Amino acid sequence: MSALTTTATRTDAHEPEHPRRRHRRLWGVTAVAGTIALVVNIPWLNAILVSLKSEGDIGRGALVTDFAPTTEHYANALGAAGYDFPRFFMNSALIALGTVVMVLLIAVPSTYSAVRLGFGGRFIMNSSSALRLLPAIFFAIPYFLLMSNLRLLDTIAGLVIANTFLNLPLGIILLSAGFRDIPIEVEEAAWVDGATTYRTLRSVVIPMLAPSLVAVAVLVFIFSWNDYLFALVLSSSRATPITLGAANFVTSTGIRWGDISAATLLSTLPPILFAVFAQRYLVSGLSSGAVKG
Amino acid sequence: MSASTQAGAGRAKWVLASPLIVFAAVFVAFPLFQGIQTSFYGLTLQDPAAPWVGWQNFVDLFSSPNFLKAARFTVGFALVVTTIETVLGFALALLMNRAFPGKKVIFTFLLLPIMIAPALLGVMFRLLLNGDIGLVPALLSRVGLDVSLFAPDTIVPMIVLLDILQWTPFTFLIIYAGLQSFPTDLVEAAQIDGAGRWRTLVSITLPIMKPIIFAAVFLRLIDAIRTFDVIYVLTAGGPGTSTTTLSIFVYKTAFESGNFGLAAAASTVIMVALIPLVPVLVKRIARSEKRP
Repeated sequence: MSALTTTATRTDAHEPEHPRRRHRRLWGVTAVAGTIALVVNIPWLNAILVSLKSEGDIGRGALVTDFAPTTEHYANALGAAGYDFPRFFMNSALIALGTVVMVLLIAVPSTYSAVRLGFGGRFIMNSSSALRLLPAIFFAIPYFLLMSNLRLLDTIAGLVIANTFLNLPLGIILLSAGFRDIPIEVEEAAWVDGATTYRTLRSVVIPMLAPSLVAVAVLVFIFSWNDYLFALVLSSSRATPITLGAANFVTSTGIRWGDISAATLLSTLPPILFAVFAQRYLVSGLSSGAVKG
Repeated sequence: MSASTQAGAGRAKWVLASPLIVFAAVFVAFPLFQGIQTSFYGLTLQDPAAPWVGWQNFVDLFSSPNFLKAARFTVGFALVVTTIETVLGFALALLMNRAFPGKKVIFTFLLLPIMIAPALLGVMFRLLLNGDIGLVPALLSRVGLDVSLFAPDTIVPMIVLLDILQWTPFTFLIIYAGLQSFPTDLVEAAQIDGAGRWRTLVSITLPIMKPIIFAAVFLRLIDAIRTFDVIYVLTAGGPGTSTTTLSIFVYKTAFESGNFGLAAAASTVIMVALIPLVPVLVKRIARSEKRP
């Protein structure tokens, strides 16, 4: 496509484009990019449609558009039909929040120690990067054995620990970039004033670290909310999060697609809300390691 | 470093690092050791008194047609989706790399698939492909194609397609973020010198973007090799073993067949195979830290 336009661009590269033509070309970009954005989101847009149809309308096929919208499936997913979904939601929230707290409690002091006090040298960063790459499935078996020895199978605590393990490397990588961005002069001034290391960290450094803390919290929340593999291995009923609950619901017989669509959509809401309202943190977090985080 | 001159820093260094040291010892180093150790035992779910079997699990593994098939499928799948997603992600990043009406909303929508749990996407894909009520079969039968999408021949292309829908946004994001720090004056200079758009792309944009594209390929490749959630929920590795990735093979061997020793051997092999890739990313992260 570009090859065909080459000659045209070459001749008119310096001449200002006619405003109306430029205008039309930019709306063309909107149309193409908008279509792509629509296509990649088909899976959940389709699920929205199904979740609003009655069981009868769902049975009439996917291309039926003349249906009376209903919210019964959302009511069912939220407890009206006696499913376990409310408990699954609660478990997911507890696991995700617990993981965020654990990751921050471990990563903030130790990354500060590594970046500013010379703890571990490059070893901490290198092994964090390496752990990010190891296949999670490798740890499924030892974690199952470890958690059953610790009597933590099928508990929220067990899943919080597993998700902390999965997300700690990312937390350390992002926080170390955050610590490095704080000018050391600020800390030196605090030391000169006689503040201890702990006090400097608590009163001077951590307040300045706020953006990195938010980025880590948001990403760790999403990733632990979305975890499936460790939930599958480590939980069986009491601690089951929504990802596992929804997937199990589908594999059981007699699928009620309206209810499952509603439940699935509700459980994608927290990550999607974050994606909309905390976008800049996600962009920097997801691309860390690839481009400067 | 001036930090070391600070009073009491020597002890504080260890105190502050102690949570990480404890966690890493109990929940990283020990499981790592136990995972490798298990691969040398005949450990099963039923038999806690596992005998030492030496290299037997590895011998069994490499003579298991299912493992070799899963390895082939995983590598093939990862190479195909990574290639397509990188090309599409790059094209999309070039398209989005300008101001146009509605850009902010479109950008947000493009990133949504990355945020959705792969397991839940697996559920949505099942709904999409369902023979009775799914959108894809309905559209296909409109144009006269009546195929069962869950048949061995059609499910693999479907899985590739669905992976592209979910992860092209990821390669797009990485490459787009890279384009933001791209020196635009170079492109302008080239255009003033009379270089066409295609020429500018090949001679200037691509060479400068090479490290970023490489990183996108690398991150996507590693994640594709690890794929578990979405395929497990969609097909559970079937029909037969036609969509069994290495991760699904390990999971099924351990938790369905109860053969922990063999599964641990398989996951040790996967890890050892990925280790040569690790220094590449470690170096990249180190480099991005040094950049101003």
